Formats: sequence, C-alpha cells, structure tokens
Amino acid sequence: MERDLATLEKGVRCCSWNYCGQRLAVGYADGSVAVHDSADPSSTFSRSSKWMVHACGIMNIVWIPPEFGDAIACLCVDGTLSLWEEVGEDVHSVSWKQCKVFECSDPRVLEVQFGVSSAYLKLVAAYSDGRVKVYELLDALDLNKWQLQISPIQFSQDLVFAFFDTKFKIWEFEEARQRWLPVAELALTEDKDDRVHAVAWAPNIGRSYELVAVASCKGIAIWHVGLNSEPDERLPAEKVALLSGHDGEIWQLDWDMSGMTLASTGGDGMIRLWQSNLNGIWHEEAVLDCCGGQ
Amino acid sequence: MPGRPSDPDSAIVPFSPMAEDVPLFPVRHGLKPPIFRVFVSWSRGSHLQVACVCPRDESLEEKADGDLGDEDVGGKVLEVKLGTSDANINEAKRRWIAYGSVPPFALLQGRRNSLAAMSRISSSSTFIDWWKHVLEYSQSISELLGNTRLQSTAVIEDPKLVLERVGEPTSLKAAWQLIEIFYVDRHSFSGLAESVVDWLAEFDCLLSEKDTTVSSKLVKLQEQLVNLQVIEDDPEYWEGISSALSVGWLEVVVKLLRLHGSYQLNQLDSRETENGLVEAVAVLVSTMPCLHHDFPAGKLGQYYRTKPDFVKAWEKWRGQISKLDCSAFWVQCGHRQTREGLRNLLQIMLGNINNISAAVFHWIELLVPHLLFIRPLTAGFEEFQGLAQKCMQIKFNNTPNGLVRLFIGILGENTEVVLAECSKSFGPWMVTHCLELLTADNNQNKIFLHEERYNLGGISILELHRLVYAQVLASHPLTSQIAPTYLVSCPKQGLGLLEILLCRQPVQHHQIILKNLEICRLYELDGISSCIKKIAGIYHWKHGRKGAGIYWLQEARDEATLNHIAHHLFESIGRTISDESFKQWEGLIELLGPDVGSAGGLGFLHTYRDFKKSLKLVESGRTSDVARQAIEALIQLLKSPSTPQRFWFPLLHDSLKLLNWRERPLLNVSETNLLLNKLQELSMAKLRPDFCSTELQPNVLSSVRLALARNLSRAFLEE
Repeated sequence: MERDLATLEKGVRCCSWNYCGQRLAVGYADGSVAVHDSADPSSTFSRSSKWMVHACGIMNIVWIPPEFGDAIACLCVDGTLSLWEEVGEDVHSVSWKQCKVFECSDPRVLEVQFGVSSAYLKLVAAYSDGRVKVYELLDALDLNKWQLQISPIQFSQDLVFAFFDTKFKIWEFEEARQRWLPVAELALTEDKDDRVHAVAWAPNIGRSYELVAVASCKGIAIWHVGLNSEPDERLPAEKVALLSGHDGEIWQLDWDMSGMTLASTGGDGMIRLWQSNLNGIWHEEAVLDCCGGQ
Repeated sequence: MPGRPSDPDSAIVPFSPMAEDVPLFPVRHGLKPPIFRVFVSWSRGSHLQVACVCPRDESLEEKADGDLGDEDVGGKVLEVKLGTSDANINEAKRRWIAYGSVPPFALLQGRRNSLAAMSRISSSSTFIDWWKHVLEYSQSISELLGNTRLQSTAVIEDPKLVLERVGEPTSLKAAWQLIEIFYVDRHSFSGLAESVVDWLAEFDCLLSEKDTTVSSKLVKLQEQLVNLQVIEDDPEYWEGISSALSVGWLEVVVKLLRLHGSYQLNQLDSRETENGLVEAVAVLVSTMPCLHHDFPAGKLGQYYRTKPDFVKAWEKWRGQISKLDCSAFWVQCGHRQTREGLRNLLQIMLGNINNISAAVFHWIELLVPHLLFIRPLTAGFEEFQGLAQKCMQIKFNNTPNGLVRLFIGILGENTEVVLAECSKSFGPWMVTHCLELLTADNNQNKIFLHEERYNLGGISILELHRLVYAQVLASHPLTSQIAPTYLVSCPKQGLGLLEILLCRQPVQHHQIILKNLEICRLYELDGISSCIKKIAGIYHWKHGRKGAGIYWLQEARDEATLNHIAHHLFESIGRTISDESFKQWEGLIELLGPDVGSAGGLGFLHTYRDFKKSLKLVESGRTSDVARQAIEALIQLLKSPSTPQRFWFPLLHDSLKLLNWRERPLLNVSETNLLLNKLQELSMAKLRPDFCSTELQPNVLSSVRLALARNLSRAFLEE
C-alpha cells in the first residue's frame, strides 16, 4: 500500500510539498533547509539542494504560488521570516538565493501564508502579539519588493482568514475601498475560548458554499460558509460537524483536490481520513497508523 | 460519500456507518517509535504523501556518532495508496481496463448528448431504446474484463479432465455481468433465469474463497480422479456428479458418468444392466430441455425459445425420468453406490429439494436448481426475489464476500447498497462505469442518481463517483491524461476539478505543457491556459531560459510581467550599452519578434535599441544625421503608449547631449513641447503615492528642463 519516496536526515522540524507534489522542502532544527525533487510523480525523491537559512531552527516552510517562481518562505523558531527562491542565469547555475528577510524579532512571526488575488501576490504574516500584517508584491519578478498593505491566514480566492488568539475569523479584502472586513466568525459561543490548532480551506470546484475545517482541542469542526453576504455584510456560516478521534493535539489538516476528503494528523501519530456520506453526515473513513513503523 | 450507504436501516446487508469499525492501516515506514511529527499532502489525485519524522533526541545523536546506519535516519517520506480495488487484478491490467473503458464510455456519453439534443428539437422521447445502447456499452466493457468460459467440450483428448477454464474468472467481471443481467436487460425477465444459470456456470468458483462450492468440489474431485482405481466406489464421485447436475453443468455430469467403471470393455458383460442405467441417466441429462433465447453451440440439452414448446418437451422429459425411476432394472443393478448415485441424480432432475439441497453448498447454488428443476418457468423479478430469499434461509453463508453481498444488494433493490458494495469491493472504476447500467432502464434509479444534492455540494451521486474516479486516474502519470474524459461528463464540478488538476501539473517539460494546453483548448479553459503559460514563463525566466520564459509569458498575454521584464531588460541595456553583453540582450529583444508590442510592453524595446545604437554612434562623433535619427527614435519612444512612464526620465537624461546639440536644434517646436509635456507629467506623477521611480534626481531634472527650454527657444528662432 505504501511506497518509499525519500529518507530524511536527522533533525527534521517541518516538511512542505510544492503545488504539484514533486518538490519537498524540509526544514531542520539546525536552521538548514533541504529541497528534494522527483522527476515525475511515479519516481522517488532525491535531494537537489541543502543550505543554511538561519542560525536557529526552521519552524515552518511555505511554498510561494507557482505563478511567482520556485520559492519558499522559511519561518524560524526566533520568528525570523525569510524568502528564498531558486534562480539561475542559465540552466547550469541554478541555486537557491535569499531574496528577502522580514525584520521581525519582536513580536515574532508565528504563521505565514500566501494568496493570489487578481494577479497580485499577497503575503500574510501572523505575529505573536495577535496582529496580522499583509504585504503585497510589487514586482512579479522580484521577490524582494514587498509593500506593507494593512492588517488580517490562508487565502481562498479573495477570502482570507485569521486567528486572533482563540477566535477564528474570516476577513475579506474589499477591493473598492481597499480595506479588510471581518465577514464571519467560525466559532460557536461555547467554543470561543478554544484554541485553534489548524485550519484548512477546501478547494472549491463548484460548491455554492466554502468548506472550512477548523481544528481545536474539541476536535475538527467542519463549517459551511456561504459565498454571498447577508444584508449585514456578514457571510452565513454553519457548523455541520464536529469530528473527534485524535487523542491529543491536531497538527495538520489537508483537503484533497476535490474537497471531498480531509486528512488530519495529530499527536496520537495517526492520519485520519474524513468524508461526508450522501446525507451530509461526516464520518471517519480510515485511519493510517504511523506509530508502529515495522 | 462513496463507499458507504447513508441509510443502513433499509439495507438487506446490515451496513452501519456509525457502528462499523473504521479500517486501520499501519504505515510501514521502518522508523523506530516514537514519531515526532507526521506531515501529509494529497498533491494530485488520491495518493497521500506522508512524511514521518523522528524526534530530535540528543542521546540518540550521541550514540549515532559511533554507530551510523538506521540511527542517522531522521525521517521517511512515503506515498500511501488509498482506495479499494479487486486485489486479483494487477496494476498493469487495471490501467489496461482504465484505458480500454474510455472509448465505450465516451461513445455512450456522445450518444446521450446527441439524443438529448434531438429530443429538445423533436420534443419526442428518443430515449425509448436507450437500454440497447447501454447493453452495447456493457458488452464492450465486459469483453474488456476478459473472457472466461467453462470448456468441458474441448477436452475430449483427456478423459479425466472434467473442468477446464479459458482464462481466470475475476470477481470484477462477475459483478459487472450480474449488474448487466439485473439492470440493463431488466425488461425481459423471461431471460433472467437462464442468465443467472449461465452466470453461475462461469463464476461459481468466486462465490467463496474459504467455503466449499460446487466448483471447488469438482476441482478437488478432478485431482483425485487420476488416483482412483474404481471410481464408482468413491462417494465423492457421486457427490461431484450430483453437485454438477444441480447447477446444470450437463457436460460435466455426462463426462463424469462416462468415466463409470461399467463402460470399460472388460466389464461390459458382467455389468450390462448397470451400464445401461448409467447411460440412460446420461442420455436423460444430455437431453434436458432448456428455455433459452439462443442455442449455444456445443452445449448439451435441448433448447427451446418458446414456452409452449419448452413445456411440452419438459413434461415428456420428466415422464421419462419418472419411468426410469420406477423401472425394475434397479433391482438387477448389483452395485449399491451406482444404484443410489443414479437414483439421486433422478431425484435432482425431478426437483426433490432434499436431494438438491444436499448436493449444493451456497444459496446461489441452491437458487439455480430451483430455476432448472423446480420452477423452470420463473418469470419476473419479484418471483425471483422470493426464491432467492427462500434459498438464503436454507443455505445462508455467514461471511459473504463482496460479490455475494452485491448479489444480495441487487435482490434487495437497494441502489445505495449496490453502489456501496461496488465501491467497497471493486473500487471507483466499477462504480463509475456501472452507474450507466443502473440507470439504463430504471427511472427510480435515474432520479436517485441524477438528483442534485446540497450535502454533496450541489452535485448528483453519479457526478460524485465520476469525480472520485477522475481523482484516482489523476494520481498516476500514466492514467492522468484520461481523467478529463470523465471530468467533462460531470456537468457541475467536472471542469472545476479539471482546472485544479491542470494547475497542479509540473511545467518543466515542454511536452507536458503542450498536452495540458491542448486539454485547455478542447474544453475552452482559457483562464487555466493562461495560468499554465504564466507558470511556465516565470519558471523558465527564473531558471535562466529567458527566451522560453518570454515566449510563454507572451503566450499568456501577461502584460504586467512582460512590462517588468521590459524594465529589467531596459536596465540591463542601459547599463551595458558599451558592453559586449549588449549583444546578448539585443538577441533577446530580437527573439521577442516584431509583433511583441501587441502582447505587452516590449515593443518599445526595439525602438529603444535603435535609439541606443544611434546614441552610441553620436558619442563616437558621427554627424547630425545620426543625431537626428536618435531624436526620431526618442520621439517615437515617448509617443508610444507601450513605453512605461518610469522609462521616460532615463530616456530624456540619456538624450541631454542631443537636446544641447551645438550645430542646430534637433527638435522642432512641437517635438520639444511633447518632451516638455512628458517632463511635466512626470513631475506631477512624482506627487502620487504609487510613484516608484528613484532616478528622478532634482539636479538632473532641472538640467533636462533647461536643455529643453534652450532647444525650444532655438527652435522658435529657426521657425
């Protein structure tokens, strides 16, 4: 059922796949990053580069959307955020080069996401003081030129959402007035003190609503968020399921490309797959146990 | 969602999504526990990439210094394949089936579309004989799944070989044919009985992997035949014959009977009566009347197409059996096993349920003798259903396999269970393709499967399964190119998924890009086409293949990025005017072609190159004519709307020498005014917050302004 793709060196802190799943960036505790490539989806990964990003460990790596090149954002344990891209003057001189460092020692950057909105690349950085900064890329060819837009993490078309401590809100950028507006809050009154661990926005291939998974200490909440605003400019949001199963903190949520299956990983070392049946009832479809290892 | 029915209460098979244990699969990564973190990514399709990472343990690191090997491994990346499929079909065969089923599927969709268009025009129902198209489709798929038939007639050369198969029967084909029997040809239930009898003859061996079936019993008997001296003394010989007779395998029965010892030449005299009885039974078996729509070649039995003919023959045949059963010859038959064995066969043919029940092992095997010997005129699904339930009560199998559960689902008329069983046992290929059969001649199913559901995001169950199958196809590079065929047959979300799929294709290989662009062209996905071209353009530009980069960006009509490239080129040309590398840039501009302006802001670069060339000649001391050519290029550049505003000032700055030309003013009044206006526009633009030029230094600005004023005054005088 499983196939070995790569063996990683010691000290791995985080992993991130690119848009087509054929490049894997691995962040290490010593501050280095390695990129592994596979020639096609059926072949294994081999390491193509490894370099030192920062003096302290890499906490998270996020790939920049492919319309802007092969580039990653590296978030370090001390809150430093740097952008690196693979460039070369000719095919033989291709290497990873640093193109931007965001000065942010205090408050620290905790999370970073990218979104493409009407040909502009936006970078959203969430800081330890509860603020969020949105930067916009000025030159599509130069990942060094960023302009601070304004404040609210993950984009779905023109929507964006953010964590504010324990509250999970969706913000939308209003092009006409060039401002961010809170349009929905994905938390019931009794859940408002729950800390959010992970969020994933399902790809929308034609649903009349957005599907958002929010992981908190209570489990994974599945939300339907309407696409059209109500008279009070808020988007209708409905919590359709609360999925419990992981024993411990939920680490990551990832939707498949049709938005039908949600994969979650958690502190119990399990990968759980969730689907909805024909009546819209969400259930656990399968469990992949990563604890054994034989 | 595929794989599970939503309403367990109405199912014959007790599916219960809530109570059912969630299947647990161990991921064999080979790392020593504990695991520090697990990362996942779906990437494309239904394969899950998993990275398992070990904890950063200082003590382990110390040990590792002197002991390299497994201890040095910090994590593993694996690909986990999800989903179910028939385990007896290997990957290559599965792909072969996937490719082979595309033409019949596409043909059927094409027919549906053209019939739908015709019905819109003529407003008459053109779907009356739709099931015939589906039957044709079904038969094409069935052929694809392999040909397996019992070949007992072709084995005359080896008298001890009673069972031989051409090809290995697969549950997939068995399931497909079962659905075809019950859903496509449903309007003519007179053929249901014969179809099920034929089906069992081909697929009996698949009814159970562990428990005995008629097929497994005969295989076992065949192995023993070689070693048996006096075959008719062995009870298993007679049991085998009665089992074969019960399920209507007449050829096997006759062949086994003729292995009886009384046929041996040296025995004929002493066992004449016994042999006569064996042969009489063999004749009765081989002349059994059968109601069948065609006359299968090489098969024993007397075949009748019409009921009256069949009933007449049937009564005559039954009379012969009864006569033989009451015959006095049985007393003269001294061999007890033969006597009992043969009379058992007669009882089976007379439809004695006790004898039949003892000869078969599975409820489906019990169903067939009911259709052959007890109620040969069974017609109609309800009657068939009643018989099946009776057989299930007598011979219920506690652990039915997927095929049998599917049969039960079909008998229960529960489409959801049928789909769930297909999905669970045979995978998404089966579900996607058999949906056509389920809706061929059943309006209830049509409504159920075509109904758009909010819970599924506004799509029907039919579309849902096609999307799931397309995702499975997209998971493998060898099958991903047939995924679009299924996606475009999904009216609501197919193109949405196709767009995401295309956007996730790598752009390193030219051939792959061309293939994906062709798909975009076929399905009019212009936005995605531009997106792919843009990704390819940026990829090549940043990886040093500037020409390919510009080509793809032009194809994408990405004016914003081309303008940025123009700016980069402009700066490079400006910096390296006296340099040899100018040729490199010149080559690049040349590569852009003469019509580049229509695609973006690069057209001005050609004029800019001419301007720079003239300027170079001016600097090397050439005449006023050359200077005038440079001025013409400058005017052209500043008049051109494709020259970005931020380039105006460097152009004017570069032209200072021309503006201050000693011999005569090179610009006339209107030309000078044009340049002054541009300068004024720049000064105004400077005040805007989005102005980003850093080269507008005040002292240079005033020297340009002064030179223009001076030129204007001289032009006034000249004119």
